[in-house]
Amino acid sequence: MSFAVEVDGVSKLYGSGQGLVRALVDASLRIAPGEFISLIGPSGCGKSTLLRLIADLASPSRGTIRVNGKSPREARLAREFGMVFQSPVLYEWRTVLRNVLLPLEVMGVPAAEARDKARAMLNLVGLSAFENHHPWQLSGGMQQRVAIARALVFHPPLLMMDEPFGALDELTRERLNNELLNLWQEQEKSTVLFVTHSIQEAVFLSSHVVVMSPRPGRIERIVDIDLPRPRTAEMRSQPRFFELVSAVRQALREDGSEEAAHGG
Amino acid sequence: MKDLTEGMDVSAGAMPARRGSTRALISVGVVLVLAGCWEAVKALFDIPIYKLPHIHQIFAEFFHESADGQWMLGILLENAAVTAGEAAIGFLFGGIAGFGLALAFSRSSLIERGLLPYVIASQTVPILAIAPMVVVWLGTSWVSKAVIATYLTFFPVTIHVLRGLKSVDPDAVALLESYAATPAQIFFKLRLPACLPYLFTALRVSATASVIGAIVGELPVGSQSGMGVVIINAAQYYNWRPVNLWGAILISALIGIAFYAVVALMERFIVSWKPRTEGEATA
Repeated sequence: MSFAVEVDGVSKLYGSGQGLVRALVDASLRIAPGEFISLIGPSGCGKSTLLRLIADLASPSRGTIRVNGKSPREARLAREFGMVFQSPVLYEWRTVLRNVLLPLEVMGVPAAEARDKARAMLNLVGLSAFENHHPWQLSGGMQQRVAIARALVFHPPLLMMDEPFGALDELTRERLNNELLNLWQEQEKSTVLFVTHSIQEAVFLSSHVVVMSPRPGRIERIVDIDLPRPRTAEMRSQPRFFELVSAVRQALREDGSEEAAHGG
Repeated sequence: MKDLTEGMDVSAGAMPARRGSTRALISVGVVLVLAGCWEAVKALFDIPIYKLPHIHQIFAEFFHESADGQWMLGILLENAAVTAGEAAIGFLFGGIAGFGLALAFSRSSLIERGLLPYVIASQTVPILAIAPMVVVWLGTSWVSKAVIATYLTFFPVTIHVLRGLKSVDPDAVALLESYAATPAQIFFKLRLPACLPYLFTALRVSATASVIGAIVGELPVGSQSGMGVVIINAAQYYNWRPVNLWGAILISALIGIAFYAVVALMERFIVSWKPRTEGEATA
């Protein structure tokens, strides 16, 4: 079986000597195509670093990464990544529609075709009425929906999301969780790598939750989430959901006590 | 109840027009108050005409016929056109040079560290001291004036555009890189539009500076026309006819204001996506 993402003994070090930061140490991970993987852990655990290494926004100090059998750089040049960051990173001089058009423009998609695709995508995230608005006229949740539309509009095989809902309030976050899953289930399922610090969010969305720990950043444990799909909002109040949340929390706490023992 | 609906009427729709006319009223009011102060001070302290003429005398001077039967206003406007032309050329080249320097600095910190101190030093030298040398080197034609205007224009553009280019969100760059965008695409789709508000802030400053530069360039001996020449002549004969200098000052200020207004108007069309905030100056 071929993997969507293969991470093999990857380390990322910054600085040197006294100032050496071991952002990520000896991480190994295999992700099958179509899986929804969350990376969770306290700040400094290397979850964003791992995402950026896979997306070829940084290069590993040691180890190898393969994306659909290619190097991250080859995969990036083949336009296999859709990126969503914690801040929406909308271009404020562009309207909502033209923000969603941005990747298609860069990729040289003919204007009429691009416009149809962008409009269809905006319709899916429920923002058709706002296509001529500028980003500053939208709420934070709406801005992040535009960012998701922009990431999905060219159907990238790998969707990378770096704490996309981290700056939103709890209610907006839960609603966008549902919307994201609907989008993902409607389209041909891409592989999703999702960085978060919310346990509920990770459990609700994912097929596997990768628990990471800091100083040095490393992969601690992988918790399999066996909730059936399609996931519904009601599942958040079912016993199995709480069991899985506890399991992830337990895994995170173990790291914490270990860290305390090392640090003490 | 009636008061409430009236209040709502103002908040919806009627507001922009009302705000525009309020602003015009304030502008006219300020001019009237200043004119009033001028005349009041003059009357109160019994200031003679050669120190402070009456305002109406300055305006009357515009329609005073010179020796060759021409109105003073016509002579002033002819010279103003010369100065405006020199300033516009200097403004254009200064803008281009300033933008180019900012680009070079943003590409390489080595170039920035090596050159920026000299660029800053160039602006600490008094322009009045440099102007005569430039005129000696380049002659008394419009070229030397435009060069001095360029000299005053490029610096604000370099500093502000450099800041604009550096303010680009790294994630916004990462986003384009994730689409395998070319460096040219990253420049035209991200860096250039991102630095436009900064460019226009600089151009507002440079617009008036370029006019000052052109006038200073006209001051050295040998220049034939332009507001600088008018000002020098008027200053020489000030005791004989003080209103000449005041008229020249007024016209010079109007050139600067016109330059500023053109830039502000361009900004409104080009940076139209920006939310217009209360405090923002509009000409």
